[in-house]
Amino acid sequence: MLVSDGPDEVWVRRAQAGDRKAYSELVRRHQDPVYRYLLRMLGSHDDALELTQDAFIKAWQALPQWQPEAQFRTWLFRIANNTALDALRRRKLVEFVPLEDAFDAPSSEPDPERQAQAVQEVRQLEASLKRLAPEHREILLLREVEEMSYEEIGRVLSLSEGTVKSRLARARTALIEIHARRRP
Amino acid sequence: MSAAETCPRTEDISALVDNELDGSARAALDAHVAGCAVCAPVMAEFRQLRTRFAALPEPAPGVDFADLVDRRIAAGAVVPKSKPKPRRLRWWQVAPAALGGALSLSIGAYLGSALMLGSQLTAQPAALQMAAFTATPPGTLCPALQACTGL
Repeated sequence: MLVSDGPDEVWVRRAQAGDRKAYSELVRRHQDPVYRYLLRMLGSHDDALELTQDAFIKAWQALPQWQPEAQFRTWLFRIANNTALDALRRRKLVEFVPLEDAFDAPSSEPDPERQAQAVQEVRQLEASLKRLAPEHREILLLREVEEMSYEEIGRVLSLSEGTVKSRLARARTALIEIHARRRP
Repeated sequence: MSAAETCPRTEDISALVDNELDGSARAALDAHVAGCAVCAPVMAEFRQLRTRFAALPEPAPGVDFADLVDRRIAAGAVVPKSKPKPRRLRWWQVAPAALGGALSLSIGAYLGSALMLGSQLTAQPAALQMAAFTATPPGTLCPALQACTGL
């Protein structure tokens, strides 16, 4: 077995026994998605950097309570999501800091005109996302970016699958509405 | 107003786009959407939204959180919170509460019975209750003197 092979659960058990290196391996495995999620929830690179650390620290503290029935990824996202919502409540963020500069254009577009259009579309989507209610933004990010199933989303957000289904439909409708209003 | 706001099947179409409908429901909805002027644009909008999300860049933090987090843990500022164990109480820890509870119940029962008795004793005939409104001359302070003296 390679140094960083094996399912999360093996590393979690080792981390639960106090193995910090095992926990570092878990952090490395999940740091990019957690950061990305927090960046889009908070809209600020600096906030996302701070809260990603906080989320992993909280997860380390809560590690003794982790049960093997829970997927580590969904368990961690639950902590990250709560961290994001706490920060939003604390800072009363309604309008987020502009994100435009944080993102690069997709590099696979050879045609400059199409590339510019793609950049514009990405920016529009980012801007529309920022205007969504947090409960719609979180569920859309978990589904569309993290590609979680309804069951996994339900575990992260403590919702039934039926509620996940209806909230996702409402979130999509709301995003399309916002997007349509922003179009020139 | 977008098509999704007027369509009665928005939830199911959303689940269909997510591959979260089972086989028969999926086939039935697919067949319906193909011929429905209200549902078809909703499906198209939801699929387009999915394509837009897929085009989102994946920004990297440019930081090794593992190192940062490990340093904070190593500094000793953060310790795992052990699972709270259910405390087993000893008899001397429970006794005061039990005694207090028993005493409260006894006092409550005593006061309750005393009140019941009192209400029986002070139950007055209607004539006595109306005594305050009779033309009895002042000087008798208690309007229901007969009841008072009868005790």
